[in-house]
Amino acid sequence: MSCTMFWNGTPIPFRNGESVANALLIAGISQFGTAFAGQPRAVFCGIGLCQGCLIRADGCLTEACLLAARDGLHLSPEAGGSDV
Amino acid sequence: MSDAPVIVVGGGPAGLSAATEIARAGLKVLLVDQGQALGGAVHRQPIPSVKSVASAAQKRRWDGVMAALAAQTDKIKICLSTRFCGLDHTGAVLLGGAINQLIRPRALVLALGARETVQPRPGWTLVGVETVGSFQTRLKTTGQAPAGRILLAGSGPLLLALGAELTRLGNPPAAIIEAGRPFNHPLTALRLPFSYWAEACQYIIRLRLAGVPILNASHLTAIRSDSGHLLAEVETPHGHKQFTIDHIGLHDGIRPNDIGLPDCAALPVIRVGDCHEALGARAAIADGRAGGAALAAQLLGRPAPAADPEIKRQRDAQARLAQIYTHNGAERLHHLPGDTVICRCEARSVDDLRALGPSPTARQLRLDGRFAMGPCQGRFCADWVNQLSGTKPPQSGIGAARWPARPIAVADLLAATDDTLGDIL
Repeated sequence: MSCTMFWNGTPIPFRNGESVANALLIAGISQFGTAFAGQPRAVFCGIGLCQGCLIRADGCLTEACLLAARDGLHLSPEAGGSDV
Repeated sequence: MSDAPVIVVGGGPAGLSAATEIARAGLKVLLVDQGQALGGAVHRQPIPSVKSVASAAQKRRWDGVMAALAAQTDKIKICLSTRFCGLDHTGAVLLGGAINQLIRPRALVLALGARETVQPRPGWTLVGVETVGSFQTRLKTTGQAPAGRILLAGSGPLLLALGAELTRLGNPPAAIIEAGRPFNHPLTALRLPFSYWAEACQYIIRLRLAGVPILNASHLTAIRSDSGHLLAEVETPHGHKQFTIDHIGLHDGIRPNDIGLPDCAALPVIRVGDCHEALGARAAIADGRAGGAALAAQLLGRPAPAADPEIKRQRDAQARLAQIYTHNGAERLHHLPGDTVICRCEARSVDDLRALGPSPTARQLRLDGRFAMGPCQGRFCADWVNQLSGTKPPQSGIGAARWPARPIAVADLLAATDDTLGDIL
């Protein structure tokens, strides 16, 4: 397993067992999108309560802090509009 | 029906201890957790390639929980990456994720832990501002401190704990901004259990040796974004200070994570650990055991077990801690600038709240104000909206318990297999 996922097509390495949020933060990506009122989507509570880190993962809207990173996962920012 | 498992939600110390006791009494348990590993927040385990940063005392506590669980594994099925979505009035439980099912369990144990309270401040929605607990769980799983300068602000011993851990991992915080005056209550502090003392001393010594300033009776009043950094404005008893940093950790205490959990007449439901009463990890084990044993006794028609004195001991200790850290920071809510965001989900501000007029009803707050209507369901705004608008939770205020427990995708709802039909037919 190469332990690589993709953020907007850019390869992001991760360690086995790491969450998508942690792998992105370690790779220097801290804004995951923009919520519909214009506020940035980013990690806030880190435990799945605040819904601040919503991200598109293989097309599905989900919390980056709860999602396990996996090989070949395609991530993209969520630009609001269709909120949850 | 008697063959149905008891569902325990939450794989932290409380949930695991409850599951152990229920299984010990002879009942089947299905334990689910949304995470990728057991541990919960306080005992969050490192990813496989990383060495644990837990203290010796924390490791002992966790090993004890896991050893007790290991003796009952034949009766406990554990499903990770599985979320509890809610409970309907018929007693059916919806699970999502690795298990996507509607199940009618024999009983439900909610061990969902705590949520952090974080007081709103101008700029608290900026990227780089997180809760102290968020930094702590990341540090525990990845074994590394974030790069860049970090400021910790708010109130409570968790600020010292994270500060000490960051220091140990080579990135001491720029400062700790504490709203209370914890060192002004020596007599109350003396009555804390020894383990609290030992822990606090370790943290303070490590922080002092690293030269981390601990500013008491001080408040982080505003955060601004400035050429790739964060500018933090701090009020201290000796004047105003400004910090240029990269990350800010905020924490103003913990509350039970009990939003979206209405009671259900059709099913025995109990809450254990911080989800029941936010008393911390030590009490969570005792409360999980007591709650699990009492539930099993109820289901099997046996006499209720005696109460565990440890819970009262921890309740007293937490009350003393609250006294030690007491401060008037909540009054600052009433003097926030009008454009300060209160509701993080929908960016609703103090002015939006004031526009609803004096004494708005819960209905006005929700429908006109849009407060507590976002995906966090009021977990991070309801307390402040209720305080600012003078309403009282949970009956008249916002943030009252109602379905669901978390946002659910329609696709997941449609894909869920319904295992309750057999009961009805």
